[in-house]
Amino acid sequence: MTPSMARTLNAVGLLAVSLVLIAAFLDQVLLGELPCPLCLLQRVGFMGAALGLALNVKFGPHPGHYGVVILSACFGGMVSIRQILGHIVPGTGTYGSAILGLHYYSWALLVFGAIVLGCAALLFFERQFAEPEATPARASTFLIAMTVLAATLALATGVSTVLECGAGLCPDNPVVYELLQGPNPPRP
Amino acid sequence: MMSLPFFGLLAGFGCVLAGQRGAALLLWAVSMVVMLVLFRLHVTDALTIVL
Repeated sequence: MTPSMARTLNAVGLLAVSLVLIAAFLDQVLLGELPCPLCLLQRVGFMGAALGLALNVKFGPHPGHYGVVILSACFGGMVSIRQILGHIVPGTGTYGSAILGLHYYSWALLVFGAIVLGCAALLFFERQFAEPEATPARASTFLIAMTVLAATLALATGVSTVLECGAGLCPDNPVVYELLQGPNPPRP
Repeated sequence: MMSLPFFGLLAGFGCVLAGQRGAALLLWAVSMVVMLVLFRLHVTDALTIVL
């Protein structure tokens, strides 16, 4: 695998991770399902993995960049496992709605696992770590567009988190955007 | 406070686009530490499972 092929593959991975975050964000905005604190931390894991992919896209493939992706996925997966264990006993409730039979945190663990496996597989192609080649202009535009897309998602999620939680910690079961809620009426 | 890692990673993406590799890696590391601290602050109840 040549360095330019690896960069394009990383950009495709960046697009895939971005699609996961877009799906979560659309669910939040269109269906009104506010993300819980652990859901937000899993999104941080996805964003961290996206940053590692963006490093590969911009500076060329490097084992350290894959390390960033794998560690981020491990941290995110750790949060997913904690949330799954919190609901694993039947009758202890769930958080959010299920998609194709699995809740978001279960899907997140599967995707984090796929990210780790994918990076581990890519690390076997050692020719990608040779000196980077000059990439064609069109490919460069695609690569930069994917990085800008991921950065835009980080901004959107950060702003929505401020609206939801304000300056402090989020409640365990958020029901309203704290900063969009009007002032409490005076008590009689 | 929950938004800190998102803005840290946003700054990291900005560094990537600006060609600042070292700063991007530093911001990623700081964001992950903040994430783990927030995880510790939120996970306070014991799990009702037997391992």
